[in-house]
Amino acid sequence: MSDLIVGISDIKVSNNAGDVIITYALGSCIGIVVFDPIAKVGGMLHYMLPESTLDQNKARENPEMFADTGIPLLFKSCYKLGADKKRMIVKAAGGASILDDTNFFRIGQKNIMAMRKIFWKNNVMIDEEDTGLNYNRTIRLEISTGKVFVRSSGGEMKEL
Amino acid sequence: MKIVERILKSINTIPAFPATGNKVAQLLTKPDYSVNEVANVIKFDPSITANILKMANSAYFGPRHKISSINDAVVYLGQKNLLRAIQTAGISKYYKKGALGYFDKVTDLWEHSVAVALMSQIISQKITGQENTTLYTAALLHDVGKIIMGEFVRDSLAKISGLVATQNISFLDAEEIVIGINHAELGGKIAAYWKFPAEIIDAISFHHRPDLLEKEEKIMPWIVYIADQACIMLGFGGGVDGLSYRAVGQVLKKFNLRMKDLEMSMVLLSDDLSRAKELISII
Repeated sequence: MSDLIVGISDIKVSNNAGDVIITYALGSCIGIVVFDPIAKVGGMLHYMLPESTLDQNKARENPEMFADTGIPLLFKSCYKLGADKKRMIVKAAGGASILDDTNFFRIGQKNIMAMRKIFWKNNVMIDEEDTGLNYNRTIRLEISTGKVFVRSSGGEMKEL
Repeated sequence: MKIVERILKSINTIPAFPATGNKVAQLLTKPDYSVNEVANVIKFDPSITANILKMANSAYFGPRHKISSINDAVVYLGQKNLLRAIQTAGISKYYKKGALGYFDKVTDLWEHSVAVALMSQIISQKITGQENTTLYTAALLHDVGKIIMGEFVRDSLAKISGLVATQNISFLDAEEIVIGINHAELGGKIAAYWKFPAEIIDAISFHHRPDLLEKEEKIMPWIVYIADQACIMLGFGGGVDGLSYRAVGQVLKKFNLRMKDLEMSMVLLSDDLSRAKELISII
């Protein structure tokens, strides 16, 4: 039994019932959680930016950095452990912005749009989403139950 | 005594800032400075000596082989990196206790400060074509006000957060309304007490609102602002204030930056941070 920590631009997957997957301090970044309740396989991605076209070399070296390369990798990593796309539950949190988001600091919004577009194109429903606003979030996924908890900065842990 | 008076009074209880950085900077301006002379100034300061080798061996400062003495460090780091390493070591000791009213962990404020300092160099390179050691110091110190403000913010957190949540005002403005001073202004006063130059004091005091500084031509507060906002967005050192700071929209036009430039800076920062673990681990 262990805590698997997902860093920034990182993915962790597990089929070990004792594991808890955690990512800390999401700001504008987004954490995507997927879970197959039958195979008991879960995974989490913490991506930083919406599109890999920004830096293709970086995307090859660290696909977890971008939504469009990280999300497919998250799913593939779970398939390897026996997860099935049809059964997978998808939850997302993060994508916060600073106040009065004008034309410059819209990375949180862009990250949310990128995620929705990718899931829509791939016919995947987002089951639960806690995105936007202006606070940091921490996400926990328990592999034993598939439960996902989100804690906002200074606040309580809440099930998503 | 009013809270503000208590806060301002407690500035005087902070130990003086080590003069090592300034002394070394002065020596380095002489074209014929000797390595021994510089090394001796550094060795005079035990807390800096202890950390400088660790930092000199950090991948961020990029030595090709192991540096094992202060004299080696002076030679291999070169002027620019030597001053940065000295300032990083000097400043780190004030951040050891963190700012617990703002953050969960004592190391959060230091991690955030190092990230902003590294990001300031990336943004400076983009805007001016070069890095800047004074800017590096200003960025490392931008949140120094939080080391004193922390306990007062903790005591008034419900009020401050309430204002932020219900009135749509920034955390900075809420600090000022509830406590009577904000952490940026207080940081500027600490830097003044430490006798830092005016450009560093201004960059700290105006790091959330560079648009309010009348000296429009000064770009240091703007770069610290951009670097800080980027790190806040990335979640490097997210505290109770979260992302509750106001965007200063004209920054884009002012420096002819595109959204893509900011995103690219974030990619570069994540590389720098992975090479700068020693800088973060010195406290």
